Amino acid sequence: MASESKYLLELNDIEAGYGRAALVLRGLTVQVPPATVVCLVGPNGAGKSTVLKVASGMLAPRSGSIVVDGVDVTGTNSQHMLKHGLAHVLQGHSVFREMTVAENVLLGAFTIKDQKAIDERVAFVQNLFPIVGERWKQLAGLLSGGQQKQVEFARSLMVSPKVVLLDEPSMGLDPKTTAKVFEQVARMRDAGTAVLLVEQNARRALETADIGCVLDLGRVHISGPAPELLADPALGDLYLGGRPADSAHVGGSTAEPATKGR
Amino acid sequence: MSGSLLLQSVILGVLLGGLYALLAAGLTLYFGIMRVVMIAHSAFLILAAYLAWWFNRETGLDPMLSLVVTVPVFFLAGFLMQRLLVSRLKPLTLTMMSVLLTFAIALIIEGALGFIFTGTQRRIQLPYAGDSLNVFGAQVPVVKLVAFVLAAFALLSLYLLLKYTRFGRALRATIQHPEAARLVGIDTDRTAGYGFGLGLATAAIGGTALSLDATIYPSLHWHWIGPLMAIIVVGGLGSIPGAAIAAMLLGISQSLLQLPLGATWAQTVFYVALFATLMFRPQGFFGGRLAQRF
Repeated sequence: MASESKYLLELNDIEAGYGRAALVLRGLTVQVPPATVVCLVGPNGAGKSTVLKVASGMLAPRSGSIVVDGVDVTGTNSQHMLKHGLAHVLQGHSVFREMTVAENVLLGAFTIKDQKAIDERVAFVQNLFPIVGERWKQLAGLLSGGQQKQVEFARSLMVSPKVVLLDEPSMGLDPKTTAKVFEQVARMRDAGTAVLLVEQNARRALETADIGCVLDLGRVHISGPAPELLADPALGDLYLGGRPADSAHVGGSTAEPATKGR
Repeated sequence: MSGSLLLQSVILGVLLGGLYALLAAGLTLYFGIMRVVMIAHSAFLILAAYLAWWFNRETGLDPMLSLVVTVPVFFLAGFLMQRLLVSRLKPLTLTMMSVLLTFAIALIIEGALGFIFTGTQRRIQLPYAGDSLNVFGAQVPVVKLVAFVLAAFALLSLYLLLKYTRFGRALRATIQHPEAARLVGIDTDRTAGYGFGLGLATAAIGGTALSLDATIYPSLHWHWIGPLMAIIVVGGLGSIPGAAIAAMLLGISQSLLQLPLGATWAQTVFYVALFATLMFRPQGFFGGRLAQRF
């Protein structure tokens, strides 16, 4: 039964790992409110991508719970997670390269039977990502890296997900294209979709995000409004590759101050 | 060499290439889906040919009618083979182990055929076996034309199925990016099973087409697997259009080379093309991005 929750996605006290190897996530808790970009940053090996794999059902947690819009979906596989409203965009490029943009986007609606609903979503994603409509009949593998990313975003939105899980969307992209991709992430949020974002390019991602979580050794080390994390000089030195000269001016968030995680 | 003889060789090459194309399409499908090297594909081909011959002998009906039974049965066999055997192999060594597994299956089929039908050579006697068409002076046997039409129809159906159906899109997505396919809600395990079934269904059709105009015996599959493997490497592993183009080109080359070299040496064109591909373009000439990943 669904219960009242102010979060669309809750990962509670998650422990997870691969095979018999040591745990990657050690008691991680993350919450994603509606129409919000939550960004996970942290050093390599902190478990950022593993969080998304657990959330989308690709990796079963050893303990803890996953709650989507008040419904406990712990132990559900990726097909069912999709039905519960979680769409996952993988790291790197994951378009079906030898299919057209149209085929890629329509495969996003593979689980939907209602043709009218599919047509409406196509119109929605073409409006949100104009390049998708412009390149509709082209092979996806022939698009640039940034354009392919937008096709992946569009594909993930075809099921009207409650939360989109984005794994390193800027990977392999040049700075200009990266900026465009983050613009599209913000547009997804503005269109009402919550986003849980994992990103190596921490500073750029936090500039787009509403809430930031710093992961270290498999748990959330610090979390809070993204502008405050950006403005924190100690955090900048430790996790964001040093503090830019003007970062002290970033801030002004109405959200709560950054808090130490568990 | 007369013009009509040359024309006849080209036409026979095209007809043979059509059959090669269908069989190679099935073989490359297995590799595309799961990186499986399916040595037993040609053994299933000969099995289907035997079943067509047996059906014709027992009923006196046209052997092509046996397809009504063999296509669904082979599809089911392929599905079960993938789900119960191939999917149990460890991903890390899957390609290598699939060679051993399917080699064993080929030997079992060959042994079973020898046990049931003995090693005697068999041939279907069709009422139109001796008929031929005259095309600008070239004599084209009707039976080869029928086999070609059957293979071409099957290949076209396979193309339309993969290109325009929901299942076809799911199968292509599974081949191109299994992880992303799972994340859009495709049951990739089941889809791979159906893909295997589809591959074996092409063997059923190819075997029946072969039976119309070939003398068959249990070990005949060894004669086929080499050229088919060469075709899918030349065409680009995992690429069905690549396999079809390579099959047609090599089929025509084989047919033309039979004039100066004879049938035995003409067969070497497949291996020459294989070696040339591995030396100059290992990913294949007509597609096959998969080969680079392999």
